[in-house]
Amino acid sequence: MNRNLATALAALCAALLFPASSTALRGPGTIRITGRQIRFTRVDTGLPGRSPGDMEISRIQLYNTRLRDKPIGHAQLVCIYTGDSSRNCTGTFVLPAGKLVVSGGLIYRSLYDLAVTGGTGLYSNVRGTLTVTRIRQNPPRDVLLFRLVVS
Amino acid sequence: MTSRWHSLEARLIAASIVFALLVAFIFAVLILAVSQLRNATDREARAKDRTVAALELEKLVLDMETGARGLVITGREPLLQPWTNARRQLPHSLAVFKASFADSLERQQAEILDRLITAYVSDYSVPLVELARRQPAAARIPLATVEGKHRIDAIRSRFTALLRAENRFAESSAASARWRSQAAITGAVAGLAVSALLIVGFGVYLARAIARPLRGAAVGASRLADGDLSTRLAQSGPGEVGELTRSFNEMAQKLQSNRLELEEQNERLRESERLKAELVSIVSHELRTPLASIIGFTELLLRRDVDVATRRTYLEIVVEQSQRLATLLNDFLDAQQAEEGQLHLAEEPIDMAAILREQTRVFVGQSDRHEIRLELDEPLPMRGDSSRLAQVVANLLSNAIKYSPQGGLVEVAGERAAGDVRIRVRDHGLGIPEEEQPRIFTKFFRGGAAASGISGTGLGLAISREIVEAHGGGIGFTSTPGTGSTFWLELPADMNGDATENTATKGDT
Repeated sequence: MNRNLATALAALCAALLFPASSTALRGPGTIRITGRQIRFTRVDTGLPGRSPGDMEISRIQLYNTRLRDKPIGHAQLVCIYTGDSSRNCTGTFVLPAGKLVVSGGLIYRSLYDLAVTGGTGLYSNVRGTLTVTRIRQNPPRDVLLFRLVVS
Repeated sequence: MTSRWHSLEARLIAASIVFALLVAFIFAVLILAVSQLRNATDREARAKDRTVAALELEKLVLDMETGARGLVITGREPLLQPWTNARRQLPHSLAVFKASFADSLERQQAEILDRLITAYVSDYSVPLVELARRQPAAARIPLATVEGKHRIDAIRSRFTALLRAENRFAESSAASARWRSQAAITGAVAGLAVSALLIVGFGVYLARAIARPLRGAAVGASRLADGDLSTRLAQSGPGEVGELTRSFNEMAQKLQSNRLELEEQNERLRESERLKAELVSIVSHELRTPLASIIGFTELLLRRDVDVATRRTYLEIVVEQSQRLATLLNDFLDAQQAEEGQLHLAEEPIDMAAILREQTRVFVGQSDRHEIRLELDEPLPMRGDSSRLAQVVANLLSNAIKYSPQGGLVEVAGERAAGDVRIRVRDHGLGIPEEEQPRIFTKFFRGGAAASGISGTGLGLAISREIVEAHGGGIGFTSTPGTGSTFWLELPADMNGDATENTATKGDT
């Protein structure tokens, strides 16, 4: 189990560094990267303040500081408020080996999780969860933990 | 000479080398066993150290989880104390943990754990605590609990696997240490036993090969010093020790031979001194008696006027004593010649029967108390010196008469037997004491004769033996004290000889 996990991690790291290949992920894996929010746009619709229908659009640069200092990819997350604080989000994480698409609801931006619904490239056959933990508020920096399984 | 390679020195050196190599081998095995034991013990100790470090680290992680959970649930800062303490101690514990697994087979697992714990702290625990302080409700969402549990479960699972592996390794190391310890103890005991056996064996060898022969040599030397020259050592011991015993025995043999030779020389010197004393006594006595008669009767003739018949009687005595002196001097000269090997003999055909008959006739008229009976095979031809052989026969007859002072029968016999001429002179007189018999042919030996007043020089039989042996014959006797003696001669016969022309007519001895 440990050896398989290590192999998968090595494959994921390689996939993060080099262009995507046609090979799909062959086992479960975890991707830990950090995200630096570089742009945040809030579209206030309806009643002033947070109200259903408001939108938040975030653009994020993705880093793997253990491997390189420069961004390895980027992401975009679009959330639509469904209540005063609850919102439904959809996002795409563009990584060197492919894209991961996430979706789900959240209340607090400091700690939330989303479902990984699919992907492209190396991640064309995966699903799983994305757990996001905010480790810095200003500028916002998150730890993104993808727990992937092969579907 | 002992070969160099078989010498005791070579044996001792070889034995020492073998012993040193064996001891070195035993100690090398022991050192190796002890070294392996130490390594196994070190491995076990390091495994325990790693286990302790892992447990310590796991405890800190659990403390962090507990503290964070307490804060999240209650919102009370004091409950965060375990988390605060654990976070403060965590870097050091992680460093110790990583260092202790640096050379371990589980290093990779330790590194994974390090990453998991670091990620747990930085990605989850610290943000969660900050979130709980800032936005308590956000920290209480199920995701926080699930994520924490998820991470902690992963960490604990790793710790469990790691500790299990370390336990196995520690048990293996402990078993190896026990086995090495047992092997070291067994090796040490075996080595000690072998060394003890070798030392005892070497000591026994030294005792048997060196100490015992040397002790024997010391005892032998002591006995030798005390005068026991028959002391010999048993021929044993290797190399130089064997040479020592052989040399000792040769030395003792030479000492014994030299002492025997010295004793014989001393005996000869004492005998010579005794003979000299006897010679002086005999010469002085034997010369004085006739000389006194010659001087006495000569002075009578000079001082007194005696008639013709008396003067003739005196002069006959003077002549007789002078002849006796001459005979004595001749005996001395004969003895001297025989001593110097210059006894010259004629070699001519003779008839021993004629010599016996003539000498018997001479001695028949010398004693009224003796009867001389002659039995002869005639002729008895042989080759030799008739006068010397007559001297021998006369000596035997003279002795037979002198040593049977009570008178009696003297038997003389001559016969031929097996190529020899055998002559026998038997008397029935005093006989020869047994203690004197071995020395009867010794010059100047007279035994108890001098004390008994029997005249003589003690040279007659010695000269007779020289003469007979010079003729290639032999002389001997049998005697019983108080019964008489029988002297015999055996001379080579001349089987085809005619000796009647050369029969000598020598007088008495």
